[in-house]
Amino acid sequence: MAIFIIARAAFGYMFLVLMVRVVGRRPGKQLTPFEFVLIFYLGGLTLTGMVGSEGSLTNAITQIITVALCHYVLSYLRFRFTTFAKILDGTPLVLMEKSTWRTETLKRVNIQDDDVMHVARQQGIKDLSGIKTAVLESFGEITIVPSRVDEEEKSDPPSSSQ
Amino acid sequence: MPDPETNPVVDSVPKVNEIAVGEDLAFQRKWWRFERIIWLLFVVILVCDLLGLFGRGWFSKAKCSTPDHALTVDYQRIERASTPSTLTLHFDPSSVQDRHIVVFVSNGLIKSLGARRISPQPAISALSEGGVTYTFDVRSAPTIVEIRLQPQMPGEYAFRIQTAGNAPIRRTVLVVP
Repeated sequence: MAIFIIARAAFGYMFLVLMVRVVGRRPGKQLTPFEFVLIFYLGGLTLTGMVGSEGSLTNAITQIITVALCHYVLSYLRFRFTTFAKILDGTPLVLMEKSTWRTETLKRVNIQDDDVMHVARQQGIKDLSGIKTAVLESFGEITIVPSRVDEEEKSDPPSSSQ
Repeated sequence: MPDPETNPVVDSVPKVNEIAVGEDLAFQRKWWRFERIIWLLFVVILVCDLLGLFGRGWFSKAKCSTPDHALTVDYQRIERASTPSTLTLHFDPSSVQDRHIVVFVSNGLIKSLGARRISPQPAISALSEGGVTYTFDVRSAPTIVEIRLQPQMPGEYAFRIQTAGNAPIRRTVLVVP
């Protein structure tokens, strides 16, 4: 029945969104080979259940439209309601501030100080003392605010910027 | 006059260490608690699956017989949609009459549970009220007949199997998605 084809597509999409959200964020701008395996394997397994033995073009088109519609609805709800956006994406998390690690956050998101230092090195920061604040963004990237910005601001008198 | 399509910038993002981060640790702690429940639920689902609560396992296997044990049926009390399985009929020598076994199988098994193939092939298949009556030639007993099932839709389906002159076996199968 057509309703089951659409229901399967919608369920598959929603379930994958939940799975990816629960599996958690990993730091980095690019997918690691480890994450490639996860994404492709999850996608492939979901496809088996969504399509089943019914491989017609009509089914494919209705399922693609269903997934697109689900995505649009989630995007709209995310834009409209702040709480929904937090549920869907999470919030940015401070990993380090004022030379203090947020150990609870690091433990929960499975991030080590090495991961933070890896990103810091890319910005030319030599050691952890050069970091003012490290933030894990909701899209998985670690943002570093270097402490030298503060130092430069202090060393430059206000008149020098004019 | 203010432009209706623009708004002045309001510094609304919560700050941490003077930086607008937008962290909501209270929400995040609730989410982490939810994640722990979800991971626990995933483990429970896998354990249930291994035990056969969703079919194809120890819990789903079932066996039933007529009171005189002329017919015994091995089947899955929980089936999975679009997944093949086998229902086996074990016939006792007492169910053989004139070197024939006559067995009635209801439409619940033929249509709803998707009977695809019956092995061995019956000598005669005759349409009856509410099902099909199969007649098998028998040279030696006990005899086994296998019916390959592949239910298409989830739901709860009742079936009836009966040999000539014996009490029927009535059972219900749950088909999960």
